[in-house]
Amino acid sequence: MVFLTLSCLIRSRGPDRYWKVQELLKNARHFRGRKNRCYTLAVRAVRRAFVYATKGRVLKRHNMRTLWISRIAAATREHNMKYPTLIHNLGKTSIELNRRMLSELAITEPRTFLSLAKVAQARREEGFRAALGDGKEPAGVFSRVVVTH
Amino acid sequence: MTSRGTASRFLQSVLRNGVGRYVGQLKRVSIVFSKNGQSSLGIREFIEEGVVDYATKNPGTVVYVTPSPCRIPRIVAEYMNGNVREKTVTSKTSKEISEILTQMANQSGLDIIRIRKPFHTDNPSIQGQWHPFTHRPPSIGPIKPRTLED
Repeated sequence: MVFLTLSCLIRSRGPDRYWKVQELLKNARHFRGRKNRCYTLAVRAVRRAFVYATKGRVLKRHNMRTLWISRIAAATREHNMKYPTLIHNLGKTSIELNRRMLSELAITEPRTFLSLAKVAQARREEGFRAALGDGKEPAGVFSRVVVTH
Repeated sequence: MTSRGTASRFLQSVLRNGVGRYVGQLKRVSIVFSKNGQSSLGIREFIEEGVVDYATKNPGTVVYVTPSPCRIPRIVAEYMNGNVREKTVTSKTSKEISEILTQMANQSGLDIIRIRKPFHTDNPSIQGQWHPFTHRPPSIGPIKPRTLED
């Protein structure tokens, strides 16, 4: 070091430290404890929070789908049916409602959901008749699928 | 940027705008520019050609044009709900500035933050929301006060 007097030891640092620190702390303001105030602790906490946010995007889709499925299963069990049969038979009648819409219908339009469950049940029975009965009976109404595309 | 760490709002309209008459939500636009400065060239061109047409097309908006010695030309938009949006337009062409202004005129003044759901309804249920007794009608009749039987 060539600094021979105290006045030469003083360095001029960057001018932006306050704003860079605030930019990071604003992401930590809703945390608990000292990690919402102290920069060193906040850096680590904010990094973890961002990592969890990234991982959570996949988890959110996964969790929402399991929630919808459990809601649809509960609603179909009220109508004496099971979730796999409902989904399979609705697919066979080409009623292409996804699990989100089915769960919302089950909550907000219970009579529509009842009619969907009945359609699935009817298609199921037609399938049984076609498979187990002899070929003399005509195929049922719901087995006639009209393909428009 | 976490969802809990950043602001978010639900989709909404401003006081059911559009159900009756549509009221443009842009209250006033102030264009701050400098008379000689190469960053304000586009703004000056826009003021020569397009600002009068813009003002006639949006009769509910007041347009203020303030030349002042400034290095960065700005457009300050104020909305009916009190929100103020400032946009710097350094070295933008007149066409880009007119696009920016039409976009600001079409916006409502609500905050530009994450919208939680892309839909909103005041009446989500038509057939009545599900409750545990929707598909279970009562097995005993209505409960009446007990009568004295002699």
